[in-house]
Amino acid sequence: MSQYVKDLMAEVKTKNPGEPEFHQAVQEVAESVAIVLDRHPEYRTARILERILEPERVIMFRVPWVDDQGKVHINRGYRIEMNSAIGPYKGGLRFHPSVNLSILKFLAFEQVFKNSLTSLPMGGGKGGSDFDPKGKSDLKVMRFCQAFMSELYRHIGADTDVPAGDIGVGGREIGYLFGQYKKLKNEFTGVLTGKGLNWGGSLIRPEATGYGAVYFAAEMLGTKGQTLEGKLCLVSGSGNVAQYTVEKIIQLGGKVVTLSDSNGYIYDEQGINTEKLAYVMDLKNVRRGRIEEYAQKYKSAVYTAIDPKADHNPIWDHKAHCAFPSATQNEINAKDAQNLLRNGIYVVSEGANMPTTIDGVKIFLESRILYGPGKAANAGGVSVSGLEMSQNSMRLPWTREEVDHRLQLIMRNIHNTCVEMAERFGTPGNYVNGANIGGFLKVADAMMDQGVV
Amino acid sequence: MTIRSSTDSTGFESQWIEHGYGTRFQGFQNLMRIRIRDILIVSSLYDLYLFEEDGRLYELIRNEYQGLNLSHSPELTRVSSGHEAIALAKKENRFDLIITTLHIEDMHALAFAHLVRESGLSVPIVLLSFDNRELQYLLLHHDTSIFERIFIWQGDFRIIIAMIKSLEDRINVENDTRIAGVQVIIVIEDNVRYYSSFLPLIYTEMLKQSQRLISEGINLSHKFLRMRARPKILLCGTYEEAWEHYRTYEEYILGIISDVDFKKGGLQNPRAGIEFAEAVKADHPDIPILLQSHLPENEQDARRIGASFVLKDSATLLNELHQFMFQYFSFGDFVFRTPEGVEVGRATNLRTLAEQLRVVPDESIRYHAERNHFSNWLKARTEFWLAHQLRPRKVSDFASIHDLRLDLIDSINAYLMVRQRGIITDFRKDTFDPGSSFARIGGGSLGGKARGLGFVNTLINNYHVRDRFPGIQIYVPAAVVLGTDVFDQFVDENALRHFAINCPDDKEITRRFLEAEKFPEDVLGELAAFLHTVHTPLAVRSSSLLEDSQYHPFAGVYETYMIPNNHHNPLVRLNDLLESIKRVYASTFYRSAKDYIKVTSYRLEEEKMAVIIQKMVGSAHAFRFYPDFAGVAKSHNFYPIAPQTSADGIVAVALGLGKTVVDGGNTVRFCPKYPSDAVHFSLNDLLDNSQKEFYALRLDDHAVPSFETHDMKIERFDLVVAEQDGTLGSVASTYSQENQVIYDGVARNGTRIVTFAPILKNKLLPLPQILELLLDMGQWGMGTPVEIEFAVNASVGGDRLKEFGLLQMRPLVLSREIEELSFDRIDPERILCLSHRVLGNGIIEDVYDIVVVDYHAFDRLRSPEVAHEVSMFNAQLVSEGRPYLLIGVGRWGTLDPWLGIPVTWDQIAGARTIIETGFKDLPVTPSQGSHFFQNLTSFMIGYFTVNMQRDDNSLDWDWLLSQTPLEQKSLTRLLRFPAPLTIKMNGHRNMGVILKPEM
Repeated sequence: MSQYVKDLMAEVKTKNPGEPEFHQAVQEVAESVAIVLDRHPEYRTARILERILEPERVIMFRVPWVDDQGKVHINRGYRIEMNSAIGPYKGGLRFHPSVNLSILKFLAFEQVFKNSLTSLPMGGGKGGSDFDPKGKSDLKVMRFCQAFMSELYRHIGADTDVPAGDIGVGGREIGYLFGQYKKLKNEFTGVLTGKGLNWGGSLIRPEATGYGAVYFAAEMLGTKGQTLEGKLCLVSGSGNVAQYTVEKIIQLGGKVVTLSDSNGYIYDEQGINTEKLAYVMDLKNVRRGRIEEYAQKYKSAVYTAIDPKADHNPIWDHKAHCAFPSATQNEINAKDAQNLLRNGIYVVSEGANMPTTIDGVKIFLESRILYGPGKAANAGGVSVSGLEMSQNSMRLPWTREEVDHRLQLIMRNIHNTCVEMAERFGTPGNYVNGANIGGFLKVADAMMDQGVV
Repeated sequence: MTIRSSTDSTGFESQWIEHGYGTRFQGFQNLMRIRIRDILIVSSLYDLYLFEEDGRLYELIRNEYQGLNLSHSPELTRVSSGHEAIALAKKENRFDLIITTLHIEDMHALAFAHLVRESGLSVPIVLLSFDNRELQYLLLHHDTSIFERIFIWQGDFRIIIAMIKSLEDRINVENDTRIAGVQVIIVIEDNVRYYSSFLPLIYTEMLKQSQRLISEGINLSHKFLRMRARPKILLCGTYEEAWEHYRTYEEYILGIISDVDFKKGGLQNPRAGIEFAEAVKADHPDIPILLQSHLPENEQDARRIGASFVLKDSATLLNELHQFMFQYFSFGDFVFRTPEGVEVGRATNLRTLAEQLRVVPDESIRYHAERNHFSNWLKARTEFWLAHQLRPRKVSDFASIHDLRLDLIDSINAYLMVRQRGIITDFRKDTFDPGSSFARIGGGSLGGKARGLGFVNTLINNYHVRDRFPGIQIYVPAAVVLGTDVFDQFVDENALRHFAINCPDDKEITRRFLEAEKFPEDVLGELAAFLHTVHTPLAVRSSSLLEDSQYHPFAGVYETYMIPNNHHNPLVRLNDLLESIKRVYASTFYRSAKDYIKVTSYRLEEEKMAVIIQKMVGSAHAFRFYPDFAGVAKSHNFYPIAPQTSADGIVAVALGLGKTVVDGGNTVRFCPKYPSDAVHFSLNDLLDNSQKEFYALRLDDHAVPSFETHDMKIERFDLVVAEQDGTLGSVASTYSQENQVIYDGVARNGTRIVTFAPILKNKLLPLPQILELLLDMGQWGMGTPVEIEFAVNASVGGDRLKEFGLLQMRPLVLSREIEELSFDRIDPERILCLSHRVLGNGIIEDVYDIVVVDYHAFDRLRSPEVAHEVSMFNAQLVSEGRPYLLIGVGRWGTLDPWLGIPVTWDQIAGARTIIETGFKDLPVTPSQGSHFFQNLTSFMIGYFTVNMQRDDNSLDWDWLLSQTPLEQKSLTRLLRFPAPLTIKMNGHRNMGVILKPEM
């Protein structure tokens, strides 16, 4: 750790006592961009990093509401307006009993770089409340959302701050929040994203992350003059991300041979075609069954139960070209990473959040395969939020194809940023460095341009 | 209160006198002069219901009195508070007996008894306890001599008749022996539980004699007279008391049944019974004596002095007692033997006696006649008149055995002149309303379930609940109940009891029961008549004596079978029904039932099975039959989420048949007071853990020729099927992936999820209101929290009323909380487990064993394997009599093996305390699998839920897994310690702690 980072951390801890999550996030970013600050003293002079880690504005407010039984409840509301250098604050609202200032600052800080990387004009923010929607009636949730928005409305706006959903805030809550905002402001603008399709929402939301991860992989292959055509792919998971990953791989000519759920995985040597994918979608989305049933339906597939005691996950031990971890955190450890390499995998594109352990990432980076880390490869979800804002501003909803096309362009931009930054800072092909620096630099440059404000 | 029909007796009397028997019997009217006519019961409404509505008991008491003096029929008066009882008793001064239960509204039963005496009332008071544990506590710590007698409820309502009769016998014995030479049985037993279980048996045996006479066609009045002349039973607790009775009634003694270990000379004497028997046998070697003891070594002594012997812990105790009485008290069949003891004939009643007398060899007749066997047999059957006719006739009075034979036959036939059929059953084809009638077929008890159902039927009708809500009718579906006598008859006639008690193979039991050919003819006729009126699917359900008794719910122990009942050939339908009845009978003896009974204070022999045959609630959809939804409602919630309180209750509902709910599958839970509060935790939780399949009865499928022990006609179907059937709309919501929202109803496209939103939020049906009312009513009626099973048929079409069918109501057992425990000053090193979600109360210090699921080795895929391993440990520990602490991951007793360990109750029945904690990868919502928890609380088992995510919860896995196991299986291990664990539970604060053994 450089002396600069050490000093910075000491100051952060003094100024923000009792916020361990936030300290951790700052340290990671500081370390990953240290090389930039070393090379470009102008950023230090302008104290860009110190400014970035100080929220532009923190709003904390009282949310009093009355439930169906006439009982008065008081919750605490937050909105962290972290950074608006490249666009209006943008980030989710979280309703969960664990919500506090430290967690929200940490999330808002990370959001700044995530949004920046998409190349869309979105700043960073986060908000929420310690309200627990669990076990609450629709009416209670509505009353709370209205009370929450009764204060928040004065701080947000389509050109100021555009919250989205997060834990505890789904389509229902966005609906109630939007309704109250509209009533108070008497304006219909894209002040929230995650809206219903027929009142301002965007298409391709469920598909975005999966499609994005595949586009990212395709871009990575492109650097080697290759395409997904004919590539053998391992996909883990069987939820939204995995399903649409498979769909897009099929569209681009690849062949997927695996899918999994928390109990086990299937290996279908004949590949999962469109018809089989339709079956999986019905199985998981409608019947909510187990992936095991796939192997009962299609005899070409073999089901293997996952043994949690084992030191590796057998799904990653098959011959293939590409891997798309799309299930959960830490699903690839060092041993799995080695297995993947041994089986000839040279493309890994992370659709899930942090699916690879730190040791696993290290192995990928050392082997110099095409490794697309989640913060770049799964940016599709965030990107479509940005596209929802664009459509709202235009007052013109796009077709699926248009949104999909934009998504592809965004993923290409993200990819190119990563490649360019990695190369510029001496680690060519290292998408992790590329993503970290790319996200930071775009914000830093904008702040430089806009002066000390 | 319904008065059961009885045969008009006026025509009979004149005939009887005409035949010259009148005078003799008129003399008998002087027997049993002192009767208990007015009984004051201090108890809850539910208990009153037991007395009045259930089974033969009420019928017998009532009819017995009615037969002689209509103006003095017995009155049962019930009050729920002690003060009220005393006020009433003083004001009306008419009660002959007060029966009080242990828990009455305003005071302890003991305090009540003293208050009765203090207020100058001398009415005998009998205490009826529902719980052996509580009673033992009382006996140990208090002087209970103020009670005339103490009885313990064991699920057999006949105990009430034993209470009354034993009191009457004691009062009348002197007069009756003097006037008519009525016989006397001395019973020596000081253990409440034992005499509570066999006193009813003895009385029942005697009453059965009278019932046989009815089937021979003799009028009711005759029966009542006869019952007065039956042997008197004198229950004694000490040597001296018994000896005095013996001396007084020496020449009338029919037999003696005695404990071995009781008080003699003021001291507990472990050989008192043997000494007593010896003394009696010295005077009268022919008086049959049965000695009962816990100790097998006493058998030798018993045999030596010529007494019979039975081991008290024997699983067949009741059976042996029964055998003894049959053989020695001439209660059973008359068995014709040669002097060498070879059986040459058998008579079950007077008619067959006369028939047999024609054919048995001379030597047998001589053998029996010389020994007065005929008159003894008749006497025991209270055929005094005939006995007195035959007694003086010596074999030597007759020229030949042939003459004797003819004389006997003539005498009996003359006696049998009057024939009038009078079987009393309630089911009548012409009056049975297939809409809502509730009737019985056959004698005996209705069993626990039917009792609850009959009670709730009464409540619904008395309080006009049926039409309380517009558009829907609330009712108990039409049913007939086969009394437990039918079960007894079936099991005995096919000689299945001994086999079934001892056979460990469920399928074999099923096979033998299904192949058993003898089924009571009269019952068969009634069933055929019933099927004539009902052509819709039927549920054939168990209703055992012990099931749903207040302290031991045998919930879910026995099987239920459903039949389509739609075949064009009525014989096929009858056959299907019969087969299901036999299957229910067979399930009485299944392994799970046996294991379950083992841990109760009951014996398998005490268990008898009534069967409910009930119209199913539901509609046919293609080849499926099912209700729109079914559920279980409890008036007490173990896990309330604010603002709910425990007393607001909790309901679990599911689409289709109730099996989903009862088995602990994925259901929608709601509090009837706050129906629109979602109880799920998150969207994903809802998607993962909501109902995905439902159960229905297949209508297209007839007799499944199989000895499978489970119902093979019930199948699972996808929700898609329900949507096609049109039943999904009223219970489902739709999840939109696009918008990440769950929309009520099925109007939009998306994933269908069973949420019951259309009913709970959009008030399609007043379900929460109905349940609130019924739970309130049930709780009030039973005087305790209740559990209700129900099914709703909304697919009725047109303007017809929707149907809310009540399938079951039973008391919900809650543990009593005695004292607060504090957890201060506990060395943290010693804490094995700490939880703030604990059910149970008190300290447990007799647990040395732990069965623990290996947290690290466990994986959810292998949960069925864990269930199997746990059940093996359980079986082992139960047989060793070692209670244990059970520690596992996920929900115990879940239907879905992904959510926890899919054990059934009997597989963990020996656990004294259970810990439930989360998986490594999934926090579990606490189980409240309805049948499971009922059992937990009734056995007062501690239940700890440990949420490892919370700081105030802990479970020391490291310590547990570092202990050297006594035995290890692949996923579970058994730990045994030289010192006991300390388990402390504070039921008021729902806190508990388990301390490691002190080593």
